[in-house]
Amino acid sequence: MSLTQTPRRRKSVWGQVKSSRMLILMCVPALAFFIVFNYAPLPGIWIAFTDFNYRDGIFGSPFVGLKNFQFLIKSGMLWDLTRNTILYNIAFIVLGNILQIAIAIMFNEVRLKFFKKITQGIMFLPYFISVVLIGVIAFNLLNYDTGALNTLIKQTGGDPLKIYSMAGLWPLIIIIIHLWQSTGYGSIVYFAAIMGIDKGLFEAAEIDGASAWQRIRFVILPSLKPTFIILFLFSLGGIMSGNFGLFWNLIGNNATLFSTTDIIETSVYRMVMSQNNFTTSTAVGLYQSLFGFAIVMTANWLVRRMNKDYALF
Amino acid sequence: MKRRILRTGAVIATLGMGVTMLAACTAASEDDPSKPTAITMLVLGDKPSNGRLEAMLDKLNANLKKQVNATLDLYYVEWADWQTQYNVQLLSGDDNVDLITTATDWLFGWENAQKGAFLPLSEDMLKENAPKTWAQVDAAGDWELTKLDGEIQFIPEDNYTQYTNHGFFYRGDWAEEAGFPGGEITKFEDFTKYFQWVKDNKPDAYPWDAASGASNDAVLTGYLQGHTDQMTLQGVSAGNYFPYTTSESDPGTVTSWLMEGDELLGAAELAKEWNKIGVWREDSLNYDGDTREEFYSGLSGADQHHTQTFLTQIVDNMNKKQPGSNPKMFYWGEENGNLYKDIKTHGAMAVSANSKHPEKALQVYDLIRNDKTDYDLLNFGIEGTDYVMQDGKLGFPEGYDPSKDALGSNFWGGRMDEYEPLKVSDAPNLKDVYADLDKVARDYPYSTLIIDKSSIDPTLAAMGAVLSEYIPQLNYGKFDDPAKAIAEMRQKLKDAGYDEVRESLQADIDEWAKDHPLK
Repeated sequence: MSLTQTPRRRKSVWGQVKSSRMLILMCVPALAFFIVFNYAPLPGIWIAFTDFNYRDGIFGSPFVGLKNFQFLIKSGMLWDLTRNTILYNIAFIVLGNILQIAIAIMFNEVRLKFFKKITQGIMFLPYFISVVLIGVIAFNLLNYDTGALNTLIKQTGGDPLKIYSMAGLWPLIIIIIHLWQSTGYGSIVYFAAIMGIDKGLFEAAEIDGASAWQRIRFVILPSLKPTFIILFLFSLGGIMSGNFGLFWNLIGNNATLFSTTDIIETSVYRMVMSQNNFTTSTAVGLYQSLFGFAIVMTANWLVRRMNKDYALF
Repeated sequence: MKRRILRTGAVIATLGMGVTMLAACTAASEDDPSKPTAITMLVLGDKPSNGRLEAMLDKLNANLKKQVNATLDLYYVEWADWQTQYNVQLLSGDDNVDLITTATDWLFGWENAQKGAFLPLSEDMLKENAPKTWAQVDAAGDWELTKLDGEIQFIPEDNYTQYTNHGFFYRGDWAEEAGFPGGEITKFEDFTKYFQWVKDNKPDAYPWDAASGASNDAVLTGYLQGHTDQMTLQGVSAGNYFPYTTSESDPGTVTSWLMEGDELLGAAELAKEWNKIGVWREDSLNYDGDTREEFYSGLSGADQHHTQTFLTQIVDNMNKKQPGSNPKMFYWGEENGNLYKDIKTHGAMAVSANSKHPEKALQVYDLIRNDKTDYDLLNFGIEGTDYVMQDGKLGFPEGYDPSKDALGSNFWGGRMDEYEPLKVSDAPNLKDVYADLDKVARDYPYSTLIIDKSSIDPTLAAMGAVLSEYIPQLNYGKFDDPAKAIAEMRQKLKDAGYDEVRESLQADIDEWAKDHPLK
C-alpha cells in the first residue's frame, strides 16, 4: 500500500461482496471442486480408525484406535516405503529443477524462432505419452528373451542382461524416464519467468560487457530464485506421493525389484486391489498425507527463517 | 487411474449421505401397480456392446412384465479392478441395485454379509416371493450354508455342477513324443521331462508361457497339493494368497503349508529347476501377454486354469486351432487324490440391503432361476440368433464368433443343472470327467464356518505384503537360495502376526466344530 493513499471508509461485508460479485462468481466452480473432492471426503479419514461395517457406517462403526496402522510396522514395510518414496522424490525434484532451468536458459539463448518452436515442441511431447505405453516400450526394450537391448548384445556376442532382476539398476531407469517425461513440460514455467525479467537488466549487462555466461550467472539465475523456491515448496507438498502410474507400469508385480522400487502408492494400490480392505489402505493414505504435511511445514518454516518473502505462507 | 480416483472420491464423498440414507431406508414398497417395477441385478464381467444383451432383455422383460409386472436390468462391475470396484459399489450403499451376485469363496460373501450389505431373507419372504427356489434349496438342506447368526443372507447356486479346481493344460501329442505313454502325465514333477522336451524340440514355443498376475503361485500350489493332504481354508486371504490350511488327517487344526514342513522347499526347488530350463520367460514377472492365445497358437506347451475352462473352452479351441494336439489336463492333487468339490456358495445371489423392492427382486429371481423360458433367455439368449439346438446340444448359428457375439449375461447366482444342455463346444466326455472327479473329490468341510475377520484383518494385510514379495519369486524360481528365502519369509510372517491369526482361526473352528462334528 502506498503511503500517499488516502484512507477510505471501510465497506460493510455485504458491500464488499457486492462490489466483487463477478470475482466471487468466477471462484464458485473452483470452490465447488475443492469442497466436493478435497474437503467433503475429509471426515472419511475416520474410517482409518474404525473396524468398518456398512450397517453402522463410518461414524457408527467401532473405534479401534491405531490398530489399522499397526500392520505398517508389523509387515516391516514402513521404513522401506518411506525411504524409497522420499529418495525418489528428492531425485525427481533436485535433478528435475536443475534440468528444467538449464533447458529454459538454453531456449532463451536460441535466437532462431523457428528452431526454438520445433525443439520446444519435441521436448514437450514425452509429457503426453501415456505411462502405460512407456511401460510397454520399456519392456520391449529391456526384457531378457526378446528385448531390443539384449538382442543387440547377443548379436554382438555378449551375454544378455537380466535387467528385470537387477533391483539396483531400476532407480536409475525410473529417474531417467521420469526426467525424460517431465523436463520439457516443467521448463515452461522457468522459461516464462525468464521472459518476465526486465529487459533493461540485460541491456545494462550488455553495456557493462557481460558475456553470455555472466548474463546467466548474474542476471537470469538470481531472477529465477523466487520461482525456484516456490516450485520447490510446491513439489515438496507431493514428496510423499510419487509418479504412481510410471512406477506401476514399469514394475507391476515384479517382487524382485520391490526393495528399490516400491513406493507408498504402489504398495497401497496392490493392497486395495488384492484385499477387500479400505480401513488399512486409508490408514496408509493418512500416514502419507500427515508425513507430507509435516515436510511442507518444516520446509516452509526453514525458508521463512532464511528469507520471509520467499515463503509460501 | 485418474478416473478411478475420481470415482472413488465421489463415492466416498457421497458416503456420508449414503450411510444416513442406509439407516433410514426400510424396504418401503412404493410400487405403482400399473407400472412394472424395474429390478437391477449386479453382475461381474465386461458389458457386451454388440446389442445382443439388449435384444435378449427386451424379450425377457416382456415375459417378466406379464409374469410379475417387473423388468430386469443388469449392472456390470467390469473386470478391470473388479475387486475394488465390487466392494466400493457395495460400500457406497447404492440403492439402485436390487440383486447382487456374490460368493463366499471369491466374492467376499461373508465379509459383505457381516458388514451388512445384504438384506437378511426371512423364510416367509422367500416362501411367498420365491417359492420354487425356497423348495428346491430347502429340499437339498442348503439354507444352512447361507446363514449368518441364524439369518439367511443369500441364495446359493446349489444345483449347478462345476469344477473350478486348477491344473495344467498340456498337449498330449507332445507329451507322447516326450515319452509319456498315451500322452498322459500323472505326476507334477514329471512336467520337468515334458517341459525339457518342449524346450529341446519346439524352438518357437515356451514350455509354459506364464504371465505375471493373480496366479503367481501356481507352481507352489500345484506341488503342495500333490505332496500333502492339506487344503486351503477359504475366506482367509492375505492379499492374493490364502496362507492357512487344514489337513485331511487332522481337519480340526489350522496350519499352513507355507509355514510348516519341507514341501514348500521342494516346490521352490522344482521352480528353480524349471526357471533354469527356461520353462517360462526370464521376465515372466513383468510379462502380461495373453498366454492362452499363445497356447492356442502352438507357442506355449502348457497353460493353467480350471477344469471348467478346460472342458468348455480349451478342448474345443485346441482341436480347432491345433488339430491333433490331443489336449490334456493334469489337475493339482491328481497324484494323491487331494481334491475338493466346489462349494455350493461358489455362486450365490443376495438382495441388497438398500433395495427398494426386495419382494419383487425375489419374484424376478425365482423366475430367472426356475422358469425354463426365462432361464434360457437370460443364459443363452434368443434361439436362432444367439444359439441353435442341434441333436439336444446347444450350438451356435453359422458365422457366430464367441469373442464378438457373446451374450455376456453372466448369471452366476442360480444356474440349474437340469436346464443346462451340453454345448457343441464342450468336451464330449464332460459328463464322464465330472463323474470321475466326483469319485475322488471330497466336500469342503467348512462351508458353514464364518470367520470373524475384524480382529485379524490388519494382520492379514501385513502378511499379504510379505507374501506378495516372496511368493511370486519362489514360484518362478528367482531366488538363488530358496531355503534361505523361505526361512526369511517365515520369519517375516511370524513378525507380521502369523501365530496370532492362526490362534484366532483355531478358536473360530473350535467353536464351530462344537455343532459341526468333523469326521
